[in-house]
Amino acid sequence: MAHVDLSVTLAAGQKQELRLRNPVMVASGTFSNGIEFAKRFDVDELGAIVSKGTTLRPRRGNPVPRTVETPSGMINSIGFQNVGVGTLVSEVAPVWARWQAPVLVNIMGETLAEYGQLAQRLDGVPGVAGLEVNISCPNVEAGGLEFGQDPLLAADVTREVRRHTALPMSVKVTPGVTDLRPIVAAVSDAGADAITVMNTVPAMAIDVRARRPVLATAFGGLSGPAVKPIALRLVYLAASVTNLPILAAGGVSSGLDAVEFLMAGASAIQVGTATFRDPQAPWKVLAELREWCEREGVSSIGEIVGVARRRD
Amino acid sequence: MRSLDVEVTESARLYGDTHVLWMTRPPHLANATPGQFVMVYIGEHTDPLLGRAFSIHRTREGEQGPEFAVLFDVVGRGTEWLSRREPGDAVRVVGPLGRGFEPRERVQRMLLVGGGIGCAPLIWLADRLIEEGREVTLLLGGRTEAQIFPAAQLPPAVELIATTEDGSLGTRGLVTKPFEELLPWSDQVFACGPNRMFEAMHDVARRSGLRKPIQALLEGTMACGMGICYSCAVFPRRGGVRLICTDGPMFDLRDLY
Repeated sequence: MAHVDLSVTLAAGQKQELRLRNPVMVASGTFSNGIEFAKRFDVDELGAIVSKGTTLRPRRGNPVPRTVETPSGMINSIGFQNVGVGTLVSEVAPVWARWQAPVLVNIMGETLAEYGQLAQRLDGVPGVAGLEVNISCPNVEAGGLEFGQDPLLAADVTREVRRHTALPMSVKVTPGVTDLRPIVAAVSDAGADAITVMNTVPAMAIDVRARRPVLATAFGGLSGPAVKPIALRLVYLAASVTNLPILAAGGVSSGLDAVEFLMAGASAIQVGTATFRDPQAPWKVLAELREWCEREGVSSIGEIVGVARRRD
Repeated sequence: MRSLDVEVTESARLYGDTHVLWMTRPPHLANATPGQFVMVYIGEHTDPLLGRAFSIHRTREGEQGPEFAVLFDVVGRGTEWLSRREPGDAVRVVGPLGRGFEPRERVQRMLLVGGGIGCAPLIWLADRLIEEGREVTLLLGGRTEAQIFPAAQLPPAVELIATTEDGSLGTRGLVTKPFEELLPWSDQVFACGPNRMFEAMHDVARRSGLRKPIQALLEGTMACGMGICYSCAVFPRRGGVRLICTDGPMFDLRDLY
């Protein structure tokens, strides 16, 4: 069987390059911090892990119900329940340091300054290979999404993080804007090394019997196979305004889904909600992607990145 | 936590609107304990998307080897699909998950309290405790007789006490009253049912001044069942946050209220 080169490099040419063995990552919030998975499965086979969204201080998260199933999807409003960056650095990162798979820490600040402080706390920490900067969480009152809906604020956050760390950083953007392109362009110019497209789609469900929203916070973010076509279009659009690698997230459940995103212009993909349905989903996506490449005679993943794009 | 296809060996309406589904028991479920649960995935496509959490209801030796069962009322699309499975059908499950009941050693008088379909894990616990030679009183409450697990399906040594809200079986009313009477007798209490039942039981236990531990099996909305989605949060009165799926589903009521 022909060998397929699945490797992907992020932040190429920067002080700290990030080389992934393959383009299959896991999406933030769908793998916790990976510790439980590592006890049962080989996380080192994956391209990269993205941590649970991490804030400066620990957060208890939102009241319940926090999730609701919808057709081929689910809406969540977890509200960044996490241990806080201090515990993450002292207790979790040392475990990551023993893994071969790189770990990106997903960070979310309530203020611009908090993004900088988070970046500083994580800079140089063994086990932390990079950052994913969340400017797109729909489920918190302060920070998150408000930074992600304005190109100037999005660029400010990107610069603030860049100023405090040399770690490779991807900025995770929201589908909840009229046009994603100015935001992608702004964060690209402001020092991002990659763009994660996309966070969940702002959504809601109503309990007809109780005559009120299902989720305690009323609104949440939609994920799962239902959002894949939306994510695909946004990846395609983002690729038109940036030369940075795009990490695609949004309903990837199979190797063929991954191929679609790569063809739209993504350099890597993140498996998210599919892991809730099957804890081995990221590994299955990887196996299917490799099989597809072998079958199609693709010898390097770079051969298919962006091939579906119009050449005009 | 392996994901595995198991084969349905028996599917039946056991009583009222309550179904039992027996499946072949994969080796990694052999060490499961009463109170632990499995995620059962509905259909082969993405709608419905998520698994459903079920306590393990019972285990037995079948013709082709060990089997395990889940017990459920048909309340939605998932349980409706599951109720239509037939012997030979494949169903994908992940488990065993969570922390189950922890009966203390060298205590004898076990009080099991179930509300509605909450009886499911208590039946297996009763089976085990009787095997170990302990005394078991099973207190079951329901809206009506059709919701009470049939006595004929229990080990003969189990003492069954039923309460129904309409008085169609046993004492009319809730389990709270007989619970109050039996609490002084018991060495340990195990419960599964709705939150308001737990609250009432905690209240009775606190007022009794007896300091009896109550192990309760909690239910909550789950997407994954394995500690990664953070859906099933529970907020103890003293602060903090726990996840039902991995910190529980068994909690000592005194740690919650």
